[in-house]
Amino acid sequence: MTTKNIATADMNNRVGPVMRAGELADAIIEAAREDNPGKEIRVDDKRAYLRIDTDDEMILRRETIERNLGRPFKMNDLEVDLSSFAGRIETGPDQIRFYLLKHI
Amino acid sequence: MALLNRMDWYDIARTTNWTPKYVKESELYPDEMCGSMGIPMEKWEVYDEPYKQTYPEYVKVQREKDAGAYSVKAALERSRIFENADPGWLSVMKAHYGAIARGEYGAASAEARMMRFSKAPGMRNMATLGCMDEIRHSQMQLYFPHEYVSKDRQFDWAHKAYDTNEWAMIASRHFFDDMMLTRDAISVSIMLTFAFETGFTNMQFLGLAADAAEAGDFTFSSLISSIQTDESRHAQIGGPVLQILIDNGKKAEAQRQIDISFWRAWKLFSVLTGPIMDYYTPLEHRKQSFKEFMEEWIVAQFERSINDLGLDKPWYWDQFLHDLNIQHHGMHLGVWFWRPTVWWNPAAGVTPAERDWLEQKYPGWNDTWGQCWDVIIDNLVEGNLAKTYPETLPVVCNMCNLPINFTPGKGWAVKDYPLEYKGRLYHFGSEPDRWCFEQEPERYAGHLSLVDRFLAGQIQPPNLAGALAYMGLAPGEIGDDAHGYSWIEIYKQMRMKKAS
Ligand SMILES: [Fe+2]
Ligand SMILES: [Fe+2]
Repeated sequence: MTTKNIATADMNNRVGPVMRAGELADAIIEAAREDNPGKEIRVDDKRAYLRIDTDDEMILRRETIERNLGRPFKMNDLEVDLSSFAGRIETGPDQIRFYLLKHI
Repeated sequence: MALLNRMDWYDIARTTNWTPKYVKESELYPDEMCGSMGIPMEKWEVYDEPYKQTYPEYVKVQREKDAGAYSVKAALERSRIFENADPGWLSVMKAHYGAIARGEYGAASAEARMMRFSKAPGMRNMATLGCMDEIRHSQMQLYFPHEYVSKDRQFDWAHKAYDTNEWAMIASRHFFDDMMLTRDAISVSIMLTFAFETGFTNMQFLGLAADAAEAGDFTFSSLISSIQTDESRHAQIGGPVLQILIDNGKKAEAQRQIDISFWRAWKLFSVLTGPIMDYYTPLEHRKQSFKEFMEEWIVAQFERSINDLGLDKPWYWDQFLHDLNIQHHGMHLGVWFWRPTVWWNPAAGVTPAERDWLEQKYPGWNDTWGQCWDVIIDNLVEGNLAKTYPETLPVVCNMCNLPINFTPGKGWAVKDYPLEYKGRLYHFGSEPDRWCFEQEPERYAGHLSLVDRFLAGQIQPPNLAGALAYMGLAPGEIGDDAHGYSWIEIYKQMRMKKAS
C-alpha cells in the first residue's frame, strides 16, 4: 500500500491485522468480511504477509474464524500468525477488535 | 476440573502490588531504574494491557511458533539456499544476523528491567513474556545461520559482531545500548517497545520477509515473520504507558523520548535496511522499494498510531520524509566503497537495469548518486580496481556513528553540524542528530567514534591493516564485492559496442 504522496500517507483510518500467509490468514479474511458487514475489507497480499484492513474499526469473532477454519480455534491462537496490526488492539476470549479512537 | 475463563481470574491474578514492610517504596523501586517521573503508584495501577496473554497460553502459542519455524527450516534444508541464492541475498542474511541476533539478548535485558522495575503489574506481566520472547529471538537467529558458518566465515559474525569494534557494529551498539541497556523501565517502554518495535522492527522483520519470500528463501521469511508475531504482542507494552504519562502531564517528556528513539532508529535503518532492500536483494525479487516499505510501515501505520495516542509528529518530520529519498543511497555508496570494513559482501546493485529501477523509484538518482557510480564503473572497466578503494576516512557523526553524507551532484550542499561541549568539538550529520546529543550531553559525551579513536592513536598501525585488525576482521571475513565484480561485464560490453 503506497500512495502518490508520502506526506499525506499517515492521513488514513486503516485498522486491521497483518497476517503471515497461510490458512489462518485466509480464514481471517473471510471472518473480516462476515463480522464487519457493510464495510470494505481490503487485502494487500505481500506473499510473506497479508495486510487486511478496513476503516476505523474491525471485529473478528472466534466463532466465525472457527467456522472458516473448519476446526476449533482459541482467540489467542491468532498470535501464531499475527505479525503486526494497524490501529489499536483489544483482545478478548471470543473476539478481537482493531480500532482507532480518532477518525481523521 | 472445569477451567475458569481467563477473564474471570486475570484481573485478580494481576493484582500484585502490595505495600512493602521492610523497605521503602523508593528502595523497592529506585527511580533510576523505574523512571516513573514522580507519578504515584496508584496512577500506574490503572495500566491495562491491551494485548493480554496468560502464561499457559504463552507456552502453548510459543511452542507452536517454534515448531513452525524449525519445521520449515528442516523441510527446506535440501533447497540449498546457500549454494543457490544470489550472493547479494547471502549478504542480506549476513548483515541481518550480525546486526541483530545478539542485540536480541540486549532486548531481553531491557524487558527484564521492565519486568522488575515497572510499577504497573500488567506491565510486569507483559515484560516477563517479552523477555522470554527476546531470548527466543537471539537463540533462533544464532542457530539458523550456524549451519552456514562452516561454509562461509562471514556467517560467524552472527555471533561475533557484537564483540567487535567494527564500525557498523559500533553504530548499532551505540543505538541499542542507548535505547535498551541504559534507560529506566518507563523509558525502555517508550523508546524500545513503542518507538522501535511498533515501528521500525516491522521493516526488518516483515518488509524483509516479503523480499525473502520473493527470493525463495522461505526459511528466513518464516523465521523473521514468526519473530515479529512476538514483537507485535510485547510492543504493546508502551501504549498504555504513554496514556498514563499524557494523563499525568508528562506529554512533553514522552514526545521527547519518542523523537530521540525514532530518529536514531531511522539513521540505523538507513545503513542496514535501505541498502539491503534497494541494492542487495536481487532486482527481480524486490517486493517494494525501501521508501515504499517505509511509507507502508512507518508513515501510514506507525505515525498514524502516534497521532491516535494524542502525540505529535516528531519535530523533524519533514526532514525525515525528505531524507527517505536520499540518505540510504549515500550509506550504500559508503558501505560498498569501504567494503573491506564490513563482515558481508556488499552487492553494488548498479547494473543498467537496476539503475533504471532506482531512477524510477527515486527520480534523479542517475544525476546524483549515479554520477559517483559512473566514476567507480569507469575505473572497474579500465581495470583500475585500486582506484575503487578509499584512501581516507569519512567524517563520522558523533550521534549515529555513521559517515556524514549528502546528495552528490549539482545540489551538493554538504554541511557539518558541530557542537562544542566541555572543550571537545563534536560533529553531527544533521540537526536532529545534534539535537539528540543536546538532550542529555553527559550520556553521550564520553563516547569516541571510530574516527575519533583513530585520531587518538588507538588504532595501530594507523592504516587499513591496523583498522581491520582493530575491527576484528580476519582474512576470509573481510568484505568484497558480492558478485566478484562480474556485473561490470555488461558495462565493458557496452563500451566495446560504442567503440566499434
Ligand atoms: Fe526481538
Ligand atoms: Fe522485541
